[in-house]
Amino acid sequence: MIPLLEIKNLDITFPHGSEQIRCTDRVGFSIDPGEILCIVGESGCGKSITALSVLHLLGRQGKVSGGEILYRGQNLLAMTDKQLDAIRGREISMIFQDIMASLNPVLSIGCQMTEGIRRHLGYGKRQANDMAVELLAKTGIQQPESMMRKYPHMLSGGMRQRVMIAMALACRPKLLIADEPTTALDVTIQMQIIQLLKSLRSEYGMAICMITHDIGVVVEMADRVVVMYAGQCVEKGDVRDVLEDPLHPYTQALLRSVPDVRASRGLRLQAIPGTVPENYQGIGGCRFAPRCVFAGSCTCENCEWEPDAYGHYARCCRAFENRQVPYAAS
Amino acid sequence: MRQVEQKPLVEAIRLTKTYRGALFSHNDIQAVREVSLKIAPGETLGIVGESGCGKSTVARLLMGLEKPTSGVVLFQNVRIDCLPERKLRPIRSAFQMVFQDSGSSLNARKQVFDILREPMLYHKTVSAQEAPTRIDELLSMVGLPPETKYRYPHEFSGGQRQRICIARALSLQPKLIILDEPVSALDVSVQAQILNLLRDLQDTLGVAYLFIGHGLGAVHYISHLIAVMYRGRIVEYGDSEELFRHPAHPYTKALLDAAPATDFSQRNAPRVLLTGEASGDADEGGCDFEKRCPFACAACRNRPYELRPVADGSRHLASCRLAAEL
Repeated sequence: MIPLLEIKNLDITFPHGSEQIRCTDRVGFSIDPGEILCIVGESGCGKSITALSVLHLLGRQGKVSGGEILYRGQNLLAMTDKQLDAIRGREISMIFQDIMASLNPVLSIGCQMTEGIRRHLGYGKRQANDMAVELLAKTGIQQPESMMRKYPHMLSGGMRQRVMIAMALACRPKLLIADEPTTALDVTIQMQIIQLLKSLRSEYGMAICMITHDIGVVVEMADRVVVMYAGQCVEKGDVRDVLEDPLHPYTQALLRSVPDVRASRGLRLQAIPGTVPENYQGIGGCRFAPRCVFAGSCTCENCEWEPDAYGHYARCCRAFENRQVPYAAS
Repeated sequence: MRQVEQKPLVEAIRLTKTYRGALFSHNDIQAVREVSLKIAPGETLGIVGESGCGKSTVARLLMGLEKPTSGVVLFQNVRIDCLPERKLRPIRSAFQMVFQDSGSSLNARKQVFDILREPMLYHKTVSAQEAPTRIDELLSMVGLPPETKYRYPHEFSGGQRQRICIARALSLQPKLIILDEPVSALDVSVQAQILNLLRDLQDTLGVAYLFIGHGLGAVHYISHLIAVMYRGRIVEYGDSEELFRHPAHPYTKALLDAAPATDFSQRNAPRVLLTGEASGDADEGGCDFEKRCPFACAACRNRPYELRPVADGSRHLASCRLAAEL
């Protein structure tokens, strides 16, 4: 199968004073049609800028200095903004964490919803209106007609996110990029949005690229996972493989540091010592080494991707030695 | 082991806070309704609930930052809710607060040294000569090297800043620290560090916590007792392990079901999902949760709010009529 989106060796740089800082280092992964891929990592690991770069949303400062982003074989990076207009919103849509900043506070929901529909699909006013109402209903909004006349400040966070999702769905995109869409929401609302995205995926057959820092979101919805740390992909694979048999020490530590409601509170949480390095560009070799429990015995200068027979990769030379459950090679 | 019956450090009795609605609006907002709770020395009470349920208002009422509309706050059996600011100030050193946004709760123009010294000199807990030693001690207590005391808040990461906030709260040797979502803004790996730090400090110093959070896992991990709030009221109250293992209120059950699994084997486990959101409509009498509750029936609509033991003599309280059956 040809992947829907393929990112190869992506390097993104931002200027810092007189020098260029490399914020991602040869990031690569692919998304198949209809698949939910979760990119998980802590703040500053480069997950959001990777997603933003797909639709040329890095702003004036950020530059892609290397690599390719292929959407159905076409290189998005080589496209002009005009060419990209046919893809943005139509083929690939995006929703964001800060919903208040992504909706225009002085325009009604109806006005904002129909704008994109009329522009992309060339619908008339009445037709676009009907479609917007239908989309709002699809995202679980009761009384969508009255919603059309409301303004963003009148809605709760969960409702705003539903409106954003409805807008993103307007052109039946093949890929939805969701940048931490549930982070600012309550747990009950978060679960509603997760269920909504999952049901829309099966209905529309669209792929979802979900960016999150929450392992819980990954557990609930991912088909495949990419774990990022300090600008690099450190592990990727099928969700079950990554969660049940994490290969990279960072993934292992991350999974252990999540407090679980269902666990006994007598057990002490295993925190990862130290913090994510802020200036990770200068670190040679493994960037997790300063916080890694295995680092002392690790002699490898620059660990490369090593896949196993199931397409499960980890950027760690000890990956297969650390394996918790030994796999039988097929 | 903790003693079960201790003289409470802080006690709130039927606290209510009503805010005036918008100009010309007749709907007052009842942020907190008849909340009663106790915190014993060295114990942690966790409060969970969705945003807008009144959990932060309870914290502000206990701190004396807001005056309750009705109800009483007792601190070591002294009534503090009606004290004027001048008289409250000397008592305040015994209860301190840590906020979610560590960036905005530290003065950006002051070095850590001054941030930590100011409250101690103000409350005269140490002399100016002793202050530097105490500051080094505080920093090492929260796991920061003493050299960092001449740095400014922006030079620290979020987790380190939260450590400074905790050190500042500890500087007055308080008996109670109110933590309002202290780990919500932190990365997962750092969150675990701060939770462990808070637990260790409680073990060594015997300080009591009121821990407010919306991450159920974190609240469960740190709290001995948990109060679940919904629309300004406590709907369930009980021992942390007991409450999450055998929730007696449908809302608690729904909150637990909504918490994402951390274990892949629990993906797609059957769960009760809530529809809709907590509405801010005026109180119509009866159960507040009735509209969203999957178990609601006609009897719920007229049943007055009452927090009752789940079983006779139990410390586990719930406001649902089905509590014993769930």
